[in-house]
Amino acid sequence: MKVFVPCDMAALSVGADAVARAISEQVAARRLDVTVVRNGSRGMFWLEPLVEVETAKGRVAYGPVTAESVQGLFDAGFLEGKAHTLCLGPTEEIPYLKKQERLTFARCGIVDPLSLSDYVSRDGYKGLQRALTMTPEALVEEVTQSGLRGRGGAGFPTGIKWKTVLHAAADQKYIVCNADEGDSGTYADRMIMEGDPFVLIEGMTIAGFAVGATSGYIYLRSEYPHAFKTLKRAIAIAYEKGYLGADVAGSGKHFDLDVRLGAGAYICGEETSLLESLEGKRGQIRPKPPLPAIEGLFGKPTVVNNVISLATVPIILDKGADFYKDFGMGRSRGTLTIQLAGNIKYGGLVEKAFGITLREAIYDFGGGTHSGRSFRAVQVGGPLGAYFPESLLDTPLDYEAFAAKKGLVGHGGIVVFDDTVDLARQARFAMEFCAIESCGKCTPCRIGSTRGVEVIDRIIANQDRMKNLEVLDDLCELMLDGSLCALGGLTPYPVLSAVQHFPEDFDKPAVPPPPAQMAPKGQESSSWR
Amino acid sequence: MVHMANQIALNFAAYPHEEAVANVTNHLKSFWERRMKQQLHEYVAKGGGGLHELVIEAEKRLK
Amino acid sequence: MALIHETDYGTPSRVAETLVTLEIDGKPVTVPAGTSVMRAAVVAGVQVPKLCATDSVEAFGSCRLCLVEIEGRRGTPASCTLPAEPGMKVRTSSSKLSKLRRGMMELYISDHPLDCLTCGANGNCELQDMAGVVGLREVRYGYDGANHFKENVKDNSNPYFSFEPAKCILCSRCVRACEEVQGTFALTIDGRGFASTVSAGGKPFLESECVSCGACVQACPTATLIEKSVLAKGQGEHTVITTCAYCGVGCSFKAEMQGSEVVRMVPHKDGKANHGHSCVKGRFSWGYATHKDRILKPMVRAKITDPWREVTWEEAINHTASEFKRIQAKYGRDSIGGITSSRCTNEETYVMQKLVRAAFGNNNTDTCARVCHSPTGYGLKTTFGTSAGTQDFDSVEHADVIMIIGANPTDAHPVFASQMKRRLREGARLIILDPRRIDLVKSPHVQAEYHLPLKPGTNVAMINALAHVIVTEGLLAEEYIHERCDLPAFELWRKFVAEERNSPEATEAFTGVPAADVRGAARLYATGGNGAIYYGLGVTEHSQGSTMVMGMANLAMATGNIGKVGVGVNPLRGQNNVQGSCDMGSFPHEYSGYRHVSDDSTRHLFESAWGVSLQSEPGLRINNMIDAAMEGTFKGLYIQGEDIAQSDPNTQHITAGLSAIECVVVQDLFLNETAMYAHVFFPGASFLEKDGTFTNAERRISRVRKAVAPMAGLGDWEVTQALSNAMGYPMHYNHPSEIMAEIARLTPTFSGVTYEKIDELGSIQWPCNEKAPEGTPVMHIGGFVRGKGKFIITEFVPTDERTTGRFPLILTTGRILTQYNVGAQTARTENNVWHPEDILEIHPLDAENRGINEGDLVSLTSRAGDTTLKARISERMQPGVVYTTFHHMFTGANVVTTEFADWATGCPEYKVTAVQVALAKKMSAWQEHYHETRRITTQIAK
Repeated sequence: MKVFVPCDMAALSVGADAVARAISEQVAARRLDVTVVRNGSRGMFWLEPLVEVETAKGRVAYGPVTAESVQGLFDAGFLEGKAHTLCLGPTEEIPYLKKQERLTFARCGIVDPLSLSDYVSRDGYKGLQRALTMTPEALVEEVTQSGLRGRGGAGFPTGIKWKTVLHAAADQKYIVCNADEGDSGTYADRMIMEGDPFVLIEGMTIAGFAVGATSGYIYLRSEYPHAFKTLKRAIAIAYEKGYLGADVAGSGKHFDLDVRLGAGAYICGEETSLLESLEGKRGQIRPKPPLPAIEGLFGKPTVVNNVISLATVPIILDKGADFYKDFGMGRSRGTLTIQLAGNIKYGGLVEKAFGITLREAIYDFGGGTHSGRSFRAVQVGGPLGAYFPESLLDTPLDYEAFAAKKGLVGHGGIVVFDDTVDLARQARFAMEFCAIESCGKCTPCRIGSTRGVEVIDRIIANQDRMKNLEVLDDLCELMLDGSLCALGGLTPYPVLSAVQHFPEDFDKPAVPPPPAQMAPKGQESSSWR
Repeated sequence: MVHMANQIALNFAAYPHEEAVANVTNHLKSFWERRMKQQLHEYVAKGGGGLHELVIEAEKRLK
Repeated sequence: MALIHETDYGTPSRVAETLVTLEIDGKPVTVPAGTSVMRAAVVAGVQVPKLCATDSVEAFGSCRLCLVEIEGRRGTPASCTLPAEPGMKVRTSSSKLSKLRRGMMELYISDHPLDCLTCGANGNCELQDMAGVVGLREVRYGYDGANHFKENVKDNSNPYFSFEPAKCILCSRCVRACEEVQGTFALTIDGRGFASTVSAGGKPFLESECVSCGACVQACPTATLIEKSVLAKGQGEHTVITTCAYCGVGCSFKAEMQGSEVVRMVPHKDGKANHGHSCVKGRFSWGYATHKDRILKPMVRAKITDPWREVTWEEAINHTASEFKRIQAKYGRDSIGGITSSRCTNEETYVMQKLVRAAFGNNNTDTCARVCHSPTGYGLKTTFGTSAGTQDFDSVEHADVIMIIGANPTDAHPVFASQMKRRLREGARLIILDPRRIDLVKSPHVQAEYHLPLKPGTNVAMINALAHVIVTEGLLAEEYIHERCDLPAFELWRKFVAEERNSPEATEAFTGVPAADVRGAARLYATGGNGAIYYGLGVTEHSQGSTMVMGMANLAMATGNIGKVGVGVNPLRGQNNVQGSCDMGSFPHEYSGYRHVSDDSTRHLFESAWGVSLQSEPGLRINNMIDAAMEGTFKGLYIQGEDIAQSDPNTQHITAGLSAIECVVVQDLFLNETAMYAHVFFPGASFLEKDGTFTNAERRISRVRKAVAPMAGLGDWEVTQALSNAMGYPMHYNHPSEIMAEIARLTPTFSGVTYEKIDELGSIQWPCNEKAPEGTPVMHIGGFVRGKGKFIITEFVPTDERTTGRFPLILTTGRILTQYNVGAQTARTENNVWHPEDILEIHPLDAENRGINEGDLVSLTSRAGDTTLKARISERMQPGVVYTTFHHMFTGANVVTTEFADWATGCPEYKVTAVQVALAKKMSAWQEHYHETRRITTQIAK
């Protein structure tokens, strides 16, 4: 008999370890034959720690479980899936999950992340097996046909990037996985790395075979210590079992993989800075061209893809391009891993075909604001994404539809604000964020972001407000058109959207907002229940 | 002077004998100034003790 | 000539077979593929505004001023990082671009002090220029926000330039120049975002890794990094292009002048030896030229213990002529001679040797190349047919394997070292043969694949072992050898080196280098692609110097590494005109162009041109002169620009010889050590005060141009000419160009050289004649100058200088970056902050055995003499070997060196002296005596 207690960082932050300990104690005390499996998270954070019990009828969920409630659960017979106030019924029937279309996250939260046999028994390495029967050209074509676009934010067609690397002649090529997940309100990368690391390893291996790269690196943000441990262990297992190294799965093909930790700079999530950092240098933007696909890591042709992009590759190879591209709308094919965060009732991961509207995401899944106050703004796509008002909530999550509204889908992070938010403060925060995270290379970002904070301060303080709004507008244009990378180039999105959609906030005297309404950063917000 | 002359001889000693003598002779002719050559002749005339055999042969050809 | 502003193309040039044609503002322009749009625009005559781009470093893309629009594309890409593409239509100006550029400048100026009128860069500031170009009229951000311009922190630690971060615009040009141009990686950007600052590794410049090459100062577009001389004097108003008078790299410089005063020396971008780079010496260490120690009046005295008496030029010259005539009358025609200098121009050197041969009537002319590269001349002439290096410096950019033997380029030839390091960073592989762990063995982004730390004195055993591997492992370039080399000589050599006694295993016993490393290095050199050998005095200054030169030539021929770009055997010449002084016929046995004095047709050519009869036998070498003086047969000596009392070995022997000469004439800038023994002193002219030419290590003849009038009234050649006339042999040159015309007329390898052509081409590499009217960058292409390349048997004859119980260590000597040779120039500059005294480097084991600690005063004793100096414990040394420099007279490194010398050329064995080192309490007897002698012999009567 198995009991599942997540080891995902979000679950750990609300006491999953204590729950697991309490369950083990009960098992020992009651002399039961129960194995406690530490799985990944299902992605329903208000229910964490979400404990599941394997029963004849399938897995039954209980949550949020505390260590104190464990004894009661045992007493109530939760091992047989019996009723309890915390019982949520069969896990797969929880509407939040049932409504989803989990392709990339098909196994996440279900399997033991470090069990290769779990992985293989649930379709793992089927993609690789098929890939091994294909030529590199055919592999690249399959990925191109699937319509997969870069999930890191830019949405560049993955197959086209791969094709460039495939055709670049070089003695060495690399696959680099961008796991420097730094956008506010995002955690999909972390979840998959902690919950199903082999899918990433498999995806990178396939990418290596597709473009002729024999070496890969995962560039992981140092704030993800659990993911680091899990990846390290998973890679070691893959080597042990012959899924990495000189003879992958007996194919005679070579692929090496390792994890490298970043040093806490947001800018190193930008691919050229990431490569500099990976080479041991100061994390600073490289101009493009040359594209990393031509001159990337150590000057060699390099695929740089986001975790989710690479983790989606195995299912595309397994089920075929047509299967995958049947999901989605327009030019945005497949599924988006939406991460609900901020002031939201049901924060968590929602994998859903492109095309779902913002409103559906926020209300049908997220259940509206956490505070219960009325919704005022939402920022999609991280700290560089635009602030959308209520009137834009029917925008479908689709790269082109968002671009048309001067917004970003980005990495799929959605941060919700209620009516206590001050958008002038948020605009200032956008400039401040840019100033703090700027690498300092290009002028618009290095000096412009600092000046931007000062100009917005003057606007807030009603000093020469009209003139300073004009200066802010010019500065935003300068940053937008003149910056070297997306950090400076996209910072105007939140600023200008705030001015455009919430002009009233720039006309009233400043009132310091309550701290909860400052833009939440990453994980802190995602553990709200 | 003897040291210098012998050094030259040693550096050509690995050549076949005839070539070695010719090389030493040519070297002395090309690079030694009159005073030194004179000193060499005088030294050989007084017995040439300690001189490498290649130098002694070359000295004859220098005249 | 007005102040020269070279065109800045913004990004470096590209070499490509494919050409790309695009349109810039409607003008078609064709450039090599890979060229940036910015550079293409400059070629088309359009200057796109820029701040972070400069053509000495790769594009960076940070300032965002150079944005352009491309027809049919979205956005405004930076033209510096955008490669030109066929058919591209580029617009460099539009209202959109103007607004963006003005916006950038508005940001820049919002964080910059507004002290333009009192700023050191006023009149030469790119930031100022760009503010003007974009039409910046107001800064709407005001000056109350965050800024750096209120921080008043200056780093004045470097003696030559100051660093004022308040003026920094973070373009990173300095950081990139330090990395890409110099290759030192001393600078970095600290912090990030708005708080980013340029930093010399968190230390003041003087304490950092900075080598003071000046690349950062030159790259700086503002006054952040600026020469202190410019801060003190202001900008120059005219430029004189000339050639550096330090090492054999021969960098071209722009002397920026205010009237007759130098404001700064800036490396010349069109200089083909240095391509706009410099080192601390050429760039900054020119203050000696106006040092108060300069002697500006001719002087004579009867005895060396008399005070000097200042006289007119006429009196000094007539006195000298009458003395020399008297001596010749009394002791014979051969009793006088002259020594030319590798620091003087070709023309001065030529006139000197002509004076000796035609006016003195003998061949007693020699040059300081005797003590450095005479084995190069002998060895390369014997094997290849030409007494010179085979390549130009740029050839190194095509080398795949670089073998450095007995040279320390980062100290002694820094500008070429930078070019070499760049190639190494690009992936060329490196082999180093040196007893010491020189910097190149491991420095930032450079690491030798093989360092063979052989024992001093075993070069020939090592080169034979390398050759043995190549011969016995079937790595010979058989086809090349059969086509281009003398086969009987090759067969003799092949048999010789194949002998087991030459194997790495057999020679390991003397060289101390593991055989496996020798085998690996040999295989790499033979099979790694283009193999290029660069060597220095660690090769030549041995009793087997000439043998080693020939050994390297053998190795190069055996592997086909001669006669194309990227290969070669290349001497790194110590002084600015070593090559030239040898070319000009300074040696006693040969006329200009390396033609033996016994060759009748050549001698007749000179006899008819000069209207005198000439001697057919070689004259005295420097060491012969000293020996002859001791014997009493040599009584008069004219030394131009050389200080044999300091630079030549066994000082006490030299000074004893000088003391035996009745009339010693010294021509120099300063009362040098040799002048202590002189009877006549001719004040010399510095390189800034003369016209002429220098020939660098790559046979490149470059112009030296007079920036200021000779401070003592006459150029050096004019003095020599006057002496000749006073001796009764007429010379009537009106200008050095006429001397060069005579050289060209009488020297086949120079027949195409004229000042006009040098002016036109910038510089010329000899041979320059009908066959090669614009000169010859790479020699022996298609075949050797001597006909067939000749392999020479290189028997290893060990030196007789052996370590003993009494002298158990080996001393080897050399140079350091910031000082130059005998220190006459650099020790009279602020370079002394880096190297105030010579230091003895000793391995920790040897130090421990002797109870020596860092900084202790130690005695250094050989069979020739002893001195004292301070010790430095260093793992750069191998146990059993100690090292010092000879830059400071008071150290007297050459008091210790001996009379042993190269068997073929007499080049002294500076690199091997058996010595003992011990703790000392006081200076040596020689040093005590020296002070007193110096005091007595350098008095000038008032």
